[in-house]
Amino acid sequence: MGKHMDMTRRGFLKGAGAAGLAATTSVLPGCLQEAPAAGGRRWGMVIDRRRCVGCRACMVACKAENHTPSGVCYNLVLEEEAGSYPHVTRRFLPRPCMQCQHSSCTLVCPTKATYHREDGIVAVDYDKCIGCRYCIAACPYGARCFDYGHNYDPNLTPPERQPSPEYGENRIRRKGQSPIGNVRKCTFCLHRITKGLNPACAETCIGHAIHFGDLNDPGGLCLVHGEKLQELLASRAPMRLKEELGNEPSVYYLD
Amino acid sequence: MPEPSIDHARRTIRVVGYLLLVVATVAGAVGLYELLTEGHLHEATTLHVPWGLWVAGYIFFLGLSAGSFLVSALPYVFGVRRLEPIGPLALIVSLMCLLLAGMLIMADLGHPERMHKVLLSLNPTSPMAWMSVLYNFYIAVVLGQLYFALRLSLVARLQEGQRPRWLFRLLTLGSRRTDDDSVRRDHRWLRRLGVAGILVTVVLLWCEGSIFAVAKARPNWFGGLLPVVILISALASGGALLTLLSAVSCRVHTDLKADLVRWLAIFTVGVLAVETLMLASEILTVLYGGILHETHAWMTTITGPYAVGFWGVQIGLGVVLPAMIVALPATRRRVGWLGLAGLLVVVGMMVTRWNIVIPAQLVASFEGLGEAYHHARFQEGYFPSRGEWLVALGVAALGGWMFLVASRLLPLDGLHHASIPEGAE
Repeated sequence: MGKHMDMTRRGFLKGAGAAGLAATTSVLPGCLQEAPAAGGRRWGMVIDRRRCVGCRACMVACKAENHTPSGVCYNLVLEEEAGSYPHVTRRFLPRPCMQCQHSSCTLVCPTKATYHREDGIVAVDYDKCIGCRYCIAACPYGARCFDYGHNYDPNLTPPERQPSPEYGENRIRRKGQSPIGNVRKCTFCLHRITKGLNPACAETCIGHAIHFGDLNDPGGLCLVHGEKLQELLASRAPMRLKEELGNEPSVYYLD
Repeated sequence: MPEPSIDHARRTIRVVGYLLLVVATVAGAVGLYELLTEGHLHEATTLHVPWGLWVAGYIFFLGLSAGSFLVSALPYVFGVRRLEPIGPLALIVSLMCLLLAGMLIMADLGHPERMHKVLLSLNPTSPMAWMSVLYNFYIAVVLGQLYFALRLSLVARLQEGQRPRWLFRLLTLGSRRTDDDSVRRDHRWLRRLGVAGILVTVVLLWCEGSIFAVAKARPNWFGGLLPVVILISALASGGALLTLLSAVSCRVHTDLKADLVRWLAIFTVGVLAVETLMLASEILTVLYGGILHETHAWMTTITGPYAVGFWGVQIGLGVVLPAMIVALPATRRRVGWLGLAGLLVVVGMMVTRWNIVIPAQLVASFEGLGEAYHHARFQEGYFPSRGEWLVALGVAALGGWMFLVASRLLPLDGLHHASIPEGAE
């Protein structure tokens, strides 16, 4: 009886320990965060900085495609100058959302409004977002914007009156309604991808600098220009921004 | 009987106080109107500084609330009997500050009408989600504590025929018992809820600190020290506010009051010393390391645009002066001076909260965005807009009104002094 009791107690302690461990790992999962399903599709970009001429067509295409208002911009082209005269270079860095596999934003969002899709894209459910802006504070890449309700024109320009195709929802921005008061971000033009189209920035890039495709497919091609993505990555030393943070971005840069 | 000149001075202070309260209330009403009609359009926050004055105000009020609650637990849970007279005061302050904190954070949210979604769709990996859950538990505990702390004296008021009777009947939930058993039951529940409240409060503050501490994109927040600093400074701010309020409003016996206020002031300064030590440790370590993106925020605070606030208000007025008041023989036994020390610590704590929230965001998490897209929302730097100041002023004024009404209607002090022999521990 005593032995039986002892084993029962041990069993109970094991169970309690396992439950405690499970509870702890659900609360402290920085490094254990669930990544998109392995073997599935993972949309990503390979951006060739040598090909980027800094024309900002991608920024304009993004704004036109997503009907983003004044003060909201998903894709930015950053500039840097290096060296001193006469040995000077000027380089550009297009910065869409990194669609991190271990994203800080999804980890901290209190309502799961921002979440990982199975294809690796980080999306926002505007109807769940409370507009706390925690994801903006947590994003290491400054890739999120709060929609404060600015417009380019008080009387609204034609694109501002049209619904945005984001997430296939065709929302029209109205005062007090989502997406005003929400956090917004680049989704690699999810509404286009689901129709078999490419992200507007990659499609419009005049230098063919932005390659887009499935990073999980070993023989996957750039869906815009046809190059093999893994070959591109293997032939040139790729880098990812702030790799040391462990966010596992899905955007690679070729220098 | 007070001398005429003292009486006159008190009346003047009261008139000026009411005037300021009315002005702040009107300002708050204007701010609220603008917020409701224009939304967040006129807020000065940006992509780099998504959390501004309202979030700093939120952690300020939540700190005052949690600190006051923890001080209230000293008599109810740990039997520090000299603090018994301020138990109800501490609890009502705790509840009020909690509500003010909630109002500021509601103002800050883009869609406050969806707050319930935090509970319905809780993300277990988000410290903010857990903080929201605990916030609700905390309100329940404080309300329960208040019920048991005030029940007996509210029943006494009802029996004496005092008004408003409907309010006293509502707050006692129909209870009329004044026998020893009911008093013992009250004390038992005060202790039980106090223990639960301590746990909830500590975890709540830890979650609040973790909101900032887990943001690895912000090096000056990221780390294990911040939740502890938030906890310690909450205790100091609660102690300070109670020092001030008990000095100006607690009507218990004068010797007992002097003893109580002195004890609270010493407690506050002691906790502040620990907080200051942690702050010094953090600053010195960061400066010694010399990592640029980490030193930038501290240099902005201690030598840059925030230096006057940091050295003059946070350290000078908020730590050094109160410590001197508590230490110097000429002031350490004077209730008025000790009350002033409490006020100074509370004022210093406002700047402390600002310095926790804002400077860490002044270091852009990703450089060059402001040049890439020319819009005010993409520029670095932050100073609260007119609307932000107005709403914050209004919330503070509401706190003033709530305290005035509560102190008139409710038996907030001297509740148990009849049961405490003079000069008791």
